[in-house]
Amino acid sequence: MGDILTLVGKRLGLGLIILLVISLIIFFMVELLPGDIAQAVLGQSATPENLAALRREMGLDQPAIVRYLAWLGDAVTLDFGSSIVTDARVTEIIGERFMNTLFLAAYAAVIAVPVSIILGVIVALLRNSIFDRVANVVSLSFISSPEFFLGYILILYFAVKWGMFPAIASLSEGMSFLDLLERTFLPALTLVLVVMAHMMRMTRAAIINLLASPYIEMARLKGAPPWKVIVKHALPNAWAPIINVVALNLAYLITGVVLVEVVFVYPGIGQALVDAVSKRDFPVVQACCLIFAATFILLNLAADVGAILTNPRLRHPK
Amino acid sequence: MIFVILYFALLLVLSCGAAYYNQRSAFLLLFSLTLVSLVVAIIGGIPGLRFISIAAGMLLAAGMMSYAFREFLTALASDEMAKELRTAPLTAAFGMFVIFIVAIMGIFAPAIAPYGEAEIVSQAFAPPDNNMLLGADQLGRDMFSRIIYGARNTVALALCGTVLAFILGAMAGLLAATKGGYFDGFMGRMADVIMSIPSLIFALLMLSIFGGSLASPQTSSWLLFGFAVIVGLLFLAAAAYSLVSWLIGAAIVAGVAFAFALAGTTIFNASEIILILVVAIIYSPRVFRLTRAVAGNVVVMDYIEAAKLRGEKNWYLIRREILPNSTAPLVAEFGLEFCFVFLLIAGLSFLGLGIQPPTADWGSMVRENATLISFGEITPLIPAAAIALLTVAVNFVVDWMLHRSSGLKE
Repeated sequence: MGDILTLVGKRLGLGLIILLVISLIIFFMVELLPGDIAQAVLGQSATPENLAALRREMGLDQPAIVRYLAWLGDAVTLDFGSSIVTDARVTEIIGERFMNTLFLAAYAAVIAVPVSIILGVIVALLRNSIFDRVANVVSLSFISSPEFFLGYILILYFAVKWGMFPAIASLSEGMSFLDLLERTFLPALTLVLVVMAHMMRMTRAAIINLLASPYIEMARLKGAPPWKVIVKHALPNAWAPIINVVALNLAYLITGVVLVEVVFVYPGIGQALVDAVSKRDFPVVQACCLIFAATFILLNLAADVGAILTNPRLRHPK
Repeated sequence: MIFVILYFALLLVLSCGAAYYNQRSAFLLLFSLTLVSLVVAIIGGIPGLRFISIAAGMLLAAGMMSYAFREFLTALASDEMAKELRTAPLTAAFGMFVIFIVAIMGIFAPAIAPYGEAEIVSQAFAPPDNNMLLGADQLGRDMFSRIIYGARNTVALALCGTVLAFILGAMAGLLAATKGGYFDGFMGRMADVIMSIPSLIFALLMLSIFGGSLASPQTSSWLLFGFAVIVGLLFLAAAAYSLVSWLIGAAIVAGVAFAFALAGTTIFNASEIILILVVAIIYSPRVFRLTRAVAGNVVVMDYIEAAKLRGEKNWYLIRREILPNSTAPLVAEFGLEFCFVFLLIAGLSFLGLGIQPPTADWGSMVRENATLISFGEITPLIPAAAIALLTVAVNFVVDWMLHRSSGLKE
């Protein structure tokens, strides 16, 4: 067991270091701004007195490293300062939106994960048949389509032409859970389509890889029934790649969610990020980027740790 | 009613024919299509069936087109190329056909498009008529012309971004593989860090600082200059071997970088340069990893050892020994990389943060005309479909090349 713990511990430590480096990048990237934040807020025509006053107020007269440490310390306690456009607390702006985004991603994941893994296994078992080829072409097309293309097609047919689901995923207080599911169905479906294609292809590749290994051949040769080959011989070794596939694709969901939220005007953190970028609201941009990057790293970590934990060789050391 | 009967009769006859002549996969395909059409007919009625038959007809037409295009290419190409091309699956031929069409559209855009890209020719959202094939957009510009120009602008930007990402990543990768040691480790860690930030998020972060409508010409030309200097230093590190050559090389690098920045700023405007640099930085680590892995496998070969014993320098090794032996995976990676870059640029433009108006561009056209969708129009989807089509096409070709180079037959 000790081996596993050290491996997992090492991986967690590495993740933490990468997160730290990323926070450095996110913070000092803004320092690269031509001029500085105060200049960006007040514009080119600001008087030197106003600039100096604003700099003092925002703490810009202190050295960057001091400000970085203060920012990081606050960020750990989920306090990202206040917006430079509206003066509201960043945590208030993105707190609820973050929950909405998580809800949307979870909704998509709940549908996509089981369906695509089952489909991936089926396609892998039927490999080189006509179904496999059709599935290959179809999933490749879904991967190649930008999210907004799929989103607008769904809106055009499901919302405008057939009127089955609302086109705009606006949320309101006190909606029942079913209402919520109906409102967010189209954005979730868009995400499902994109992620499912990825996940199916990766599952297929992993399973085919596995079925080519000698011990599967051995099991077949000794006359084990096909289901037993899959369940007893292939599956225990397939967990690691499958967990990897799931975690990587959930990480992929994070990027996809930004475009989908904009298409469906969904009040999530992706939309907040896009708004903040076009308004150059740096504290919000920094906070959103940090949250997205942290989630991304966390999911990648989960993939690695999951792969370590489900590796039979590590669980049963000699 | 007659349509429905004919439809099912045709499908049944075809599938029975396929079964009779032992065409197993064709039979499976046709018969499952029959079953699916049954379900669709019950749920959606005749419109559903019509949709399926139109889709099948389009697929058939695309298949025939790509078959003809493949024959055309084999007739034109030299013997060896023709042999390779004959093994290409239809999907790859289709991909090449689409790439060919888009290239023609982009290169001859001013000749093909009936109007200029920013020319206002009618009222906003005017419906299609004899002059305007697809109607007008939100400012009264001709949609069709803008789509043609979009092929030029969007694809050219994506291509430039890919090329820059490729030069940076491949050069760093080759150098890391030949030099090894601290340089290798340092570059590897850098790539790790950049790759652990989601690409769209990283692009948004960088664009919020440098890009968008606020991009200034000075900043962009400085950034371009800086980028060129970094790439030049990588080349220099590979090619130079003494202090004098370092000095001469540094002077050449500075000059070339300056010329490069000057050329860049005359061709593209400030926000486009920033966009190209952002995608180049975000996607170069992928190229770096692949090149390093591929070159790493080549570096341990005996003929490299022999070349080293002969006293060859790094530059010779990279140019004459490593590169020729790792072209196939690199070319495939170039295609894949182009897809990523293209989708990222389209996504950013869709968000209003990429290519700035009035330049015609497929991503931002979708956003600008999105209101039309709520009236049941499909015109805003055409540029989006063009993005998807080109990406699929490149992916098909890449799939074939990967298959060919790996020699995998599964």
